[in-house]
Amino acid sequence: MFLLQLKHELWKLFGKKRTYIGFGAFLFAQLAVILLFRYTKATMAIRRALEGGGYPADDFLTAGTIATQVVLPIAFLLLPLYVALVGGDLVAKETEDGTMRMILARPISRLRLLTLKWLAGALFSFALSLLLGGFGWLLASLWFPQGGLFSLQFDGGGPAGGFAVFGAAEGAWRYAAAHVLLATKAITVLSLAFLFSCFNMKPAAATILALSVLFANVIFMNIPWFADYKSWFLTHHLNLWQWMFLQTPPGARMAESLSLLVGFNATFFVVGAAAFQVRDLKS
Amino acid sequence: MIQLQTLRKVFGQRVALAGLDLHVPRGVIFGLLGHNGAGKSTTIGLLLGQVWPTAGEVRVCGHDVLTHRALALARVGAIFEAPVFYDYLSGWRNLEILASYSAPTASARIREVVAGVGLTGREHSLVRTYSHGMRARLALAQALLPAPELLILDEPTNGLDPEGIHEMRETIRRLHAEFGLTILLSSHLLSEVQHLCTRIAVLHQGRKVFDGTLAEATRTRDRVRLDTDDFPAAVAELQRATLVSGSDEAGFLTLTPGTTTAALVKALVERDFPVHSVAREETTLEHFYLSLVKRTPPAP
Repeated sequence: MFLLQLKHELWKLFGKKRTYIGFGAFLFAQLAVILLFRYTKATMAIRRALEGGGYPADDFLTAGTIATQVVLPIAFLLLPLYVALVGGDLVAKETEDGTMRMILARPISRLRLLTLKWLAGALFSFALSLLLGGFGWLLASLWFPQGGLFSLQFDGGGPAGGFAVFGAAEGAWRYAAAHVLLATKAITVLSLAFLFSCFNMKPAAATILALSVLFANVIFMNIPWFADYKSWFLTHHLNLWQWMFLQTPPGARMAESLSLLVGFNATFFVVGAAAFQVRDLKS
Repeated sequence: MIQLQTLRKVFGQRVALAGLDLHVPRGVIFGLLGHNGAGKSTTIGLLLGQVWPTAGEVRVCGHDVLTHRALALARVGAIFEAPVFYDYLSGWRNLEILASYSAPTASARIREVVAGVGLTGREHSLVRTYSHGMRARLALAQALLPAPELLILDEPTNGLDPEGIHEMRETIRRLHAEFGLTILLSSHLLSEVQHLCTRIAVLHQGRKVFDGTLAEATRTRDRVRLDTDDFPAAVAELQRATLVSGSDEAGFLTLTPGTTTAALVKALVERDFPVHSVAREETTLEHFYLSLVKRTPPAP
């Protein structure tokens, strides 16, 4: 029964055209960035960095390298925007439209309904992250060869200096693992928007609030005087996927960030569910 | 079927319901009347567990909605005014989705209900292509899917054209007659209630100001129409006996407080007046309703 209800939540989610705005925007952005790499001199800087480090540039100016460069800006801006849009809709849109009253005229509990909705949203976020990675690689393969992977090194949202290179197999594996971890960012942003969506507010307000929290985090985190407190900020942990491109991923820090993200998600869900539980739903 | 006890609901500073007691017996079409803001929608919200009571108890199908909501609503269907659906999905998919929140529902059952409301052939079209009448039928279909014992209808004919209103009324009557459903009909349309309901409750400013049969509501307590051979003489005799305080040319008598029709007839017969007929004056539901809401003081 739970799986049937989840299937129906997915029908609702994937039946809406606006759900696909994210997918469409990603494809367009990826294509644009890849074409810029292909038809401008943007790859020259990568080439110089590689040759300066003693690596044959042609082995690493590959589809994987370009796809990795493409995912950085998209994961920073577009991904949070679109998952926040979907997360903000999950509860607030149904309440606003009136379908929530139709649902809650039935013997389903509010907690179960919210669990279904959150799971559907999490599956959407997961799919979006993986498709983002898949299409990025696929599109880059149209203009760049397969081979090793080059990446600048990032640490919790900011450049950490230097770069890392991986062989073809390891590069592909790192790229895939980074996108699986990127899904934790997408799911957490969705959960944040979902939290606000459970309160009595418009869907757009829930989305804007979630994005405001994220942007405020980014602003605080990037004030130089707060450098020692980076790990206090949600956005620091949201960027754990970037650590997969460090030459040696910091396993313990990644585990810590992952557990914190699990905690953030649980908190967002519980607070949202509690707020929704005590609400009066009336036309 | 429905039992509300001293139900109170306060939204902020506003008292939406001030200690409502209501009993809806099994098998009736029960009308819940009241102006906009009288407390009808709040009552329905409380019945469905969508609104939390400030105080009091709500029991549906024998179960407390607060503590055993799933049991209470297992055999309940509801329709709200201006039915909304997932417009971008088909009617069939909407029914599948909504039914799954009650219990697993076989395709055969959905087909049966779709045929019952006259949507066969259009069930796989997107809901955004449906007319208002078709949406109303789809709303009815989703309410009937769990084979309900109780149907809660909140302004079900709102926005329908005259033909749609007639069709909806006939469907409600048919469901009541064929399946013995208990129906709670909330409306501010007096004619609708008069056409359909056998019992009514009138809410005004969060209070119940009347609860009884439609016949009780439309029968005046102090005026009877008398048909006798010598009406003026009969009136004079009855006034001497202090049974009647007044009369009019249309043959109506105004009874003194405490006088029953039986006592009136007995007095006439004892005085050798032939009584061809005596009937309590029937008033319209509209008159009755307006007389109630105009004399009711506001809730504290």
